[in-house]
Amino acid sequence: MPVEANLLHEIRDAIHTFVRLETCERAVVNSRPYQRLRYIHQLAMTYLVYPGASHSRFEHCLGVMELASRIFDVVTDQRNLHADVRGCIHLPETLEHTYWRRTLRMAALCHDLGHLPFSHAAEDTLPDGCTHEDLSLEIIRSPEMARIWQDLKISAEDIGKLAVGSKHYPKPLTDWETLLSEIIIGDAFGADRMDYLLRDSHHAGVSYGHFEHHRLIDTMRILPQKENGQILPTLGIEQGGLQSAESLLWARYFMYTQLYFHPVRRIYDFHLKQFLREWLPSGKFSVDLGDHLMLTDTEVISAMRLAANDEAAPGHSPARRIMQREHFKRIAEITDADREIDPDAAETLSSQLKGKFGEKAVFTDRYTQKGKGIRFPVLTRDGGIEWSTVLSSTLKRVPTFTVEYVFVDPLHSEQAKLYVREFRTALHAKQGEQQ
Amino acid sequence: MTPKDQCAVLLDLAVELRKYGSWGGETHVQKATYLLQELLGLPTGFNFVLYKHGPFSFDLRELLEQMEAGRLIELEEQPYPYGPKIAEGSAAPRFRASTKTPPLFQQGIAFVSRELGSAGVAELERIATALFVSQDREVAPDERDRKLVQLKPHVQLQEAKEAFARLEEIRNAASLAGLSPCAGTSVELTSSL
Repeated sequence: MPVEANLLHEIRDAIHTFVRLETCERAVVNSRPYQRLRYIHQLAMTYLVYPGASHSRFEHCLGVMELASRIFDVVTDQRNLHADVRGCIHLPETLEHTYWRRTLRMAALCHDLGHLPFSHAAEDTLPDGCTHEDLSLEIIRSPEMARIWQDLKISAEDIGKLAVGSKHYPKPLTDWETLLSEIIIGDAFGADRMDYLLRDSHHAGVSYGHFEHHRLIDTMRILPQKENGQILPTLGIEQGGLQSAESLLWARYFMYTQLYFHPVRRIYDFHLKQFLREWLPSGKFSVDLGDHLMLTDTEVISAMRLAANDEAAPGHSPARRIMQREHFKRIAEITDADREIDPDAAETLSSQLKGKFGEKAVFTDRYTQKGKGIRFPVLTRDGGIEWSTVLSSTLKRVPTFTVEYVFVDPLHSEQAKLYVREFRTALHAKQGEQQ
Repeated sequence: MTPKDQCAVLLDLAVELRKYGSWGGETHVQKATYLLQELLGLPTGFNFVLYKHGPFSFDLRELLEQMEAGRLIELEEQPYPYGPKIAEGSAAPRFRASTKTPPLFQQGIAFVSRELGSAGVAELERIATALFVSQDREVAPDERDRKLVQLKPHVQLQEAKEAFARLEEIRNAASLAGLSPCAGTSVELTSSL
């Protein structure tokens, strides 16, 4: 049987123009677990609010692989290496460098394999203690993928470590593995974060997520964090890239406030979860790999469409709310100023409304943004190293976005608005007393 | 344990550690919480993994970020490579008025702060990693110091031995104070609100 030539293939991409991969790597893209990602929307049902946001995890993961490779090439380039970390890095043109570059690319490609239908929106519907990262790791370790890793001559465990990182991998990672994992999923400027901001922004048709990622990547460096005689290689940037990093972190804040936490998008997530709890056997997603790989957004949407038209079907009510756009209405947003007066303002309003309209007619949505990633080392122009938060006048000012929305059944929304007005009057009176 | 209870514990710990001379940064709070939970058996609800500087909880880091956002704590920036010091934030007094740390936790917090207050990051890393290793049943007692060195290659064998000895001292002190899990009763914390 003739051996297939290992060619370089190009995939057209809306963000990065081309994503390049070799023939042997293409086997991963062609695998059943990866092809499934074509049918997992990157932003759940955000397309019901921003019609263009119908892109999938498939293209996002290709983008993460592309960016992770670019970062790896920049930070391991001999010309960019800080003298104090040289000993901790596998240098270019060594077998180790080649091995880890490929492992990093495949980990970036596979980091989201475990995502459930509708990505993060449905994650609450996994059994307690289980996360999509656990499922990603299981798929990477599966016999189905083992043959591909064998052909690529890389270890499934190494791919798994980099794909899910220290937080989810059951054993400790080395400093080098931790560094590579941060290139993919790091809080400050991991390839995952960079790609999703650029891609989500592009598809949703908003500009908030744009930042100068080419400049940022070109200035990324591995810098020594010296503590107690120990040198820890850490991902940082040259001072020239600080403004690009600032714009990324601000872009993330704006994307959270304007897109990811758009109230209508959030309420569709809520109705989706309601539907899944009624529709799924035992109300939870199965963590059996066979079941997981069979289920995508397509099957769930199909079931929702049927349920919306059948009063006897499990999940009929939430399915109807989604399909016929009869979703709960946001009647209040609790702001920082409100919380200043009463830290439990949302809870207070919510319980008042539940008392009037019933438990099931009210939903309170609370979330605080995680993983700010504003503190990272910066190589200064005089060759020193300083924290980004010391050098930057804006990073410390990036707010942590907290959302508290109160939604009610549209049947009661007009009446509920009157109660909200009363509630606000009482809140202001309380503020007067406090002053 | 509710997030509010967790905030109360972390806030007390940050303040108490500094009272006993600690630098009082995130690493110090992380390791002190780890000892509180794993040595004293007080369930803080944080999940710890072995990370760059020993046992570390990503959940705890997220909660500290949320506490900063809610002005329960403030971060005092320090020059590289030192991490920021944690200080009480402007919203802390009001929070304390409505949320109390349970008495057993208060004792535990005072104890670990006293024991760890003078320890630097390197010593904390060694002590906490020693505790991590001592909980691994697959590691024989006479293999523990070598295991610690294997996990943290920058640690010398002698330093590893000293870390286990120090851990034993803390364990004995806890026992004398009636704070070790076998000396006291196990705690199931409910919301203090």
